[in-house]
Amino acid sequence: MNAQDLREHLGGTWTVRPDGWWRPMELDRLRSAAAGLKTGGARFVALTVRPDGASMKLAWHWDVAGTLLSLEAGLTPGAEIPSLVDIWPGVDWAEREARDYYAVNFSGRNDTPPLMLREGDAPGVLLRGKDVQ
Amino acid sequence: MSYRIPIGPYHIALDEPYKIEVECEGETVIGAFLKVGYNFRGIEWLAERKNITQSIALMERVCGICSNVHSMTFCLALERIGAIEVPPRAQHIRVLMAELERLHSHLLWAGVAAELIGFQTLFMTCFNLRERVMDLLESISGNRVNYSMNRIGGVNRDIQDSQAVREGVRAVRNAVATSLIPIFTTDRGVAGRCRGVGVLTRADALAYGAVGPVARASGIDQDLRRDAPYLIYDQLEFAVPIQSGGSVYDRIVVRALEILESCGIVEQVLDRLPEGRLHGGDIYTVPAGETVMRIEAPRGEVFYFVASDGTDTAARVKVRTPTFANIPTVVPMIRGAVLADIPLIQGSLDPCYSCTDR
Repeated sequence: MNAQDLREHLGGTWTVRPDGWWRPMELDRLRSAAAGLKTGGARFVALTVRPDGASMKLAWHWDVAGTLLSLEAGLTPGAEIPSLVDIWPGVDWAEREARDYYAVNFSGRNDTPPLMLREGDAPGVLLRGKDVQ
Repeated sequence: MSYRIPIGPYHIALDEPYKIEVECEGETVIGAFLKVGYNFRGIEWLAERKNITQSIALMERVCGICSNVHSMTFCLALERIGAIEVPPRAQHIRVLMAELERLHSHLLWAGVAAELIGFQTLFMTCFNLRERVMDLLESISGNRVNYSMNRIGGVNRDIQDSQAVREGVRAVRNAVATSLIPIFTTDRGVAGRCRGVGVLTRADALAYGAVGPVARASGIDQDLRRDAPYLIYDQLEFAVPIQSGGSVYDRIVVRALEILESCGIVEQVLDRLPEGRLHGGDIYTVPAGETVMRIEAPRGEVFYFVASDGTDTAARVKVRTPTFANIPTVVPMIRGAVLADIPLIQGSLDPCYSCTDR
């Protein structure tokens, strides 16, 4: 499928930006969307996390023949994100890094070992205050 | 009965730390577990605390090989957020630097591969050619590794002697076409070590999200310079070499052919280098906004997510390097391989652990 077909297949409201197409994603539909992207021939690119007040904004990015398709979801404190690792093996490191950097918890994984941090280090290293040197 | 061998984090074959625990039955690898993070420097954390001018230098230090790619991608993201125009001459110079960087990166890798194969003469030949490219980069920028060429809205330095660059690139192309490619593709020793070794199937490459030459050697036809062109790539003619075998040999062929394409791109840039400004003046802030910026680095797609809150410091900088995407493919590559082939197979990724760890 090309990018337009995939957008139509996934449904919802897409917004075009200079960097690609973005769509708000309900967390309970994330896994079915990821499976649809895999069936459609997309390539997983990256998972981005950024603080949004007390919450987090996460975006999963896929490439379809050079076009970026991004699914964005909000995460309230303490909530969990459904893991995509059983659908996309390439997501494994992205999820582990999201836990290292922002202490994001993923459900459906056997475990989420640290990627950049050492065993036993507290996750959420990028949440450390700006006064910390 | 299987047994597990821990290899690393210090390697004989690789200059950067990373750990692989290999599970074997006899001499056959049946599984592997990877551990990275030994070079974790918290660059994304630092980028939220330094102003964007300082962060250009910071980003250039994400990788010691493709340093220019990172400062350029960061600047391109800021320029997109701020709708900042980059003068045509500066865009040409950026492409020229990016392709010279690809040349030295691929030649470095070819040398490392030759050494891992056990072909010392070929190693010396590759590094001799790479030195020629390093000399060109130094003559343009004054630096051999961190070129400091990029600034928001343009470049810092001009091409002073385009004829010298042209002659240097022609010499590299001739040597690669007449020496390197014939040796790599016809030598029985090279073929014996590389053909059919470390195969990454197309399906695995897609599932793991492989990028760059690793993906292209597994039959995935992707290159952002063509598929999502930036700077002036849509005005240039070049081919995207693809191989379908997915082995170490296929990765060698893809990179060798890409060297020839990069030489052609450099010559096209020099042919059409327009007169004009290098930048539009000093810029210390960009308006609030966010964007993803992706470019095709020597090892594959570099991904930046940059968010600005309108101050002189970025609100968020996310960096996903090509090797971050490619290292996990080692697991399917070495499954079923002979233990002794592991250094060559993981070397065939052209891995950069420092930029992976950031």
